[in-house]
Amino acid sequence: MKLSKIVLLSLTLFALLSINVFAQETAEEIMKKSHMAYYYAGNDGVANVSMRIIDKKGKERIREFVMLRLDVEDGGDQKYYTYFKKPSDVSRLTFMVHKSAKGNDKRWIYVPAIDLVKQISADDKNSSFVGSDFSYEDVSGRHWSEDTHRLLYDSTWNDKAVWVIESTPKEKYKGFTRKVSYIDKETYLPYKELYFGKKDKLVKVMTSEEIKEVDGIITITHRTMKDVKKNRVTHVIFEDIDYNTGIKDEIFTERYLMNPPMEFIK
Amino acid sequence: MKKGLTEFAIKQPWIIIGIAVLITAFFAMQFPKIIIDTDPENMLPADEPARLFDHQVKEDFSLYDFIAVGVVDDKNAFTPDILNRVYNIVSEIEDIEGIIVEDILAPSTVDDIKQGAGGSIVIETLMGDEIETQEEADYIFDRIMMNPLLKGKLASEDRKVIAFFIPIESKDMSHRISGEITEITNKYKGNEKLHIAGLPIAEDSFGSEMFSQMALSAPAAMLIILLLLFMFFRQLKIIMAPMIVAIMSVIWAMGLLIATGHTVHIMSSMIPIFLIPISVLNSIHIISEFHDHYGKYKHKEASIRNSINTLFLPMLFTSMTTIAGFLSLTLTPIPPVQVFGIFIAFGVLVSWFLSITINPAIASLISDKTLRNFGKSSDEDEKGILAAIMNSFRNLSHKRNIAIIGVTAVIIIISSVGLSMIVVNDNPVKWFKKSHPIRIADTVMNQHLAGTYMNYLVFESEESDRMKDPEVLRYVERLQRELEKQEIVGATAGLPDIVKKVRFELFEADSAKAVLPDNQDEVAQLLFVFEMSGGDADDLFKMVTSDYDKLNLWVQLTRGDNRDVQSTVEFVSDYVAKNPTPKGVEIHWAGLPYINIVWQQKMVTGMRVSLSGAFVVVLLMMIFLFRSFKWGVISMLPLTITVMAIYAFIGYIGKPYDMPIAILSSLTLGLSVDFAIHFIQRLRAIHKETGDFNKSFHEIFEGAGRAISRNVMVIAIGFIPMMFSSLVPYITVGTFFLAIMVVSGLVTMLLLPAIVKTFSKKLLPDVKK
Repeated sequence: MKLSKIVLLSLTLFALLSINVFAQETAEEIMKKSHMAYYYAGNDGVANVSMRIIDKKGKERIREFVMLRLDVEDGGDQKYYTYFKKPSDVSRLTFMVHKSAKGNDKRWIYVPAIDLVKQISADDKNSSFVGSDFSYEDVSGRHWSEDTHRLLYDSTWNDKAVWVIESTPKEKYKGFTRKVSYIDKETYLPYKELYFGKKDKLVKVMTSEEIKEVDGIITITHRTMKDVKKNRVTHVIFEDIDYNTGIKDEIFTERYLMNPPMEFIK
Repeated sequence: MKKGLTEFAIKQPWIIIGIAVLITAFFAMQFPKIIIDTDPENMLPADEPARLFDHQVKEDFSLYDFIAVGVVDDKNAFTPDILNRVYNIVSEIEDIEGIIVEDILAPSTVDDIKQGAGGSIVIETLMGDEIETQEEADYIFDRIMMNPLLKGKLASEDRKVIAFFIPIESKDMSHRISGEITEITNKYKGNEKLHIAGLPIAEDSFGSEMFSQMALSAPAAMLIILLLLFMFFRQLKIIMAPMIVAIMSVIWAMGLLIATGHTVHIMSSMIPIFLIPISVLNSIHIISEFHDHYGKYKHKEASIRNSINTLFLPMLFTSMTTIAGFLSLTLTPIPPVQVFGIFIAFGVLVSWFLSITINPAIASLISDKTLRNFGKSSDEDEKGILAAIMNSFRNLSHKRNIAIIGVTAVIIIISSVGLSMIVVNDNPVKWFKKSHPIRIADTVMNQHLAGTYMNYLVFESEESDRMKDPEVLRYVERLQRELEKQEIVGATAGLPDIVKKVRFELFEADSAKAVLPDNQDEVAQLLFVFEMSGGDADDLFKMVTSDYDKLNLWVQLTRGDNRDVQSTVEFVSDYVAKNPTPKGVEIHWAGLPYINIVWQQKMVTGMRVSLSGAFVVVLLMMIFLFRSFKWGVISMLPLTITVMAIYAFIGYIGKPYDMPIAILSSLTLGLSVDFAIHFIQRLRAIHKETGDFNKSFHEIFEGAGRAISRNVMVIAIGFIPMMFSSLVPYITVGTFFLAIMVVSGLVTMLLLPAIVKTFSKKLLPDVKK
């Protein structure tokens, strides 16, 4: 008789647990949606970006550029085109990335002073983006499938309900050993990301400073990345954002690096 | 006062000892508060402009002191095995606390920019993973050799050395970190040899080894002194007094130093080793006199009173001159030297006070029964060795007085030549013996690589972006080429190298394109490409500020001798005088080797002032003590000749005049006048009694002569163990004690009597009683 009771109890427990699991999204599903909301808003996007890199002594470096993005495949490959306006001695310099969700990105740069386009291959997506505290990967996103995700707990962030999710790289990765994200339960956008390095030391913190609705799409318009060790912070502010502008694929070629599509350069 | 104190000590020995013990306990209780500071940079005041500038430069360019590790194989260090071991070692080193991980310079951490397929450029880590084949190893070597920023740093041209550089948060961690590095490297043992070098490690290791040497040599010296005293006096209880006086003086001086919040620096750690002989000297005079007197009269208290009475004035004056010698160090504008001088002076004062109280107190506690055989040791009867030596000194200076004066004159002439040959030089690495691992590492690595001594030449302008100006860059580039022609300069690296490297790679590795552009925008864009391409932006900002208003040229030297650093600095000054820098651009030096020459200059000029100041003060004191100008001048002879002879010897053998040798001049000054004071003071006292020159002349070689000889032997032999230290300054100090004792002892016992004999009619005329 005892045995049957145990079996019954176990079954009931299992059933209860299952309901709980199926009722909620898995951490992986949350991160996938977050990734889409964060990096793949609309089919394409154009924005004026200003970047302020502030070092520990408060010294500022400014970069202003126009950024064009085209999604080749939702959640997959993307193309980025960047036209620099400031600093003035590098104005007209252009930069293009063909982001590959699985393999290595391809990058091209056009140097106006010597009128030369050069392809650059780098195996390191974690290197700094134009000398800022954001890495290439922070700008274009790290594919969710590269990490194992785990829901740590539910919480609130500025009175908004959030999931706190921990992501651990499946393969050894230079960028971080563990990342903790605060994901808004409504918009799936991250409010905060904490990056941990060796010995589980906090190395970088991303914060969404301002979130606005643009063309009906909830967008992070101002974010910061703080390098904890260097005590340096980079602000990135997106202005004049346009989604679904219908940018043509041909713009993302070497030819347009030399001859920028001025209709998008505001 | 003297009578009162001594009487009190004789009557109430326990009270005197009790008070001394209490005060000693108080000072000993300060010891746990000790703060150790081994940073030679603190030789300069905290607000010294050169030091402030150096800190500013480190801050502006995020520079750190670094430890250099060299992996040496006699055939070829670039094999898969060795490279893989280096790969694993570096990856483990990254976990050490206090390391600037992102700035580690090693094959596995540096980016390599190279030509890729279809005219692209590829950026990848030079050694991204462990390798398998010799081809891969050769490739890594070739890539290093092709990169002007890495060549001579990561690899030697003869392939025998792989090096990597570990930046550290602060210098005082380098000894610990080098220990942890050794632990890691021991796990990956092959046939190759591993060397750890760099100035910070030499400086920090010296600091920690110094303390263990101190813990070893101070007690060793005490023990030998104790043995020698026993040989002379054969009475264990009475010879405890000098030991107690010495230990107490050291504890009081060090205790006060710690209690007043001073750090124990490389200099002040030497206080005990300086204080011990100085405090022992007084006690030996007292015991020696007591011994001789007691031997004759067998009256303890009378003997004690007699020795203090006889010795009070000479001891007061020898102590005063020693204090003057050390206080003169405060005229040197180097804080640790000043602290050293003040607290030794305090210790000397304490030891004088304790000598005239503790010695009588202890002597009075010893029963007459115990002292039964005291004063009868064999060394002073007519057949004893000491007596024999005294006799020969007496006869020599009496019969050959003119010859002695002649020889002295010759010695003075020879010495003045030697003095002019003194070379001022220092290098903290050379504070270690040649056989020391740090010294070996330094030799090996600087022989094969571009150098472990890093200096920074900083170009400054008020204007942002000035350093992108091709005119400025070309000036820097030309100066680099000229610097590299200097034998001591192993390599230079600066912003022009980065600009040229980027241009070279953009133009498909065309060497003709590896030149500086004429257009400032092009410079800006090439540097932007460097930042864009993931080429580590941090590397860029170690050579230029992000505002581009300051540029840092790395100048790597293969030797860290101040003399060599000085010559490089002078070379640049000359160059700039002939080729003025672009308008609005100024240049200044920074870096550890440069800081070292700054404090050396202060030290050398400061010591000159100190020494001449002390000389004048001591001369005035002598004239006052003897109430006679003639005697004052004569008493300065042993000191003058000792200083001249010792420093001339240093000049002749080519030993560089460095920090320890500079400091020792004050000790030489303070100690070598002592014997003359005892000799003259007591000779005149004896003559007052006898009134007969020949009697006085004979008598001075008795008590005083024996005391001086005993002192010479005790101190000279007592510090011989220091000569076997692995630290060169300790060897120097030990040698100096011996030299000071022997030379000033000989001069006092030969030249002074010879002069007295020659001018006896004027100096000590016979008086009829």
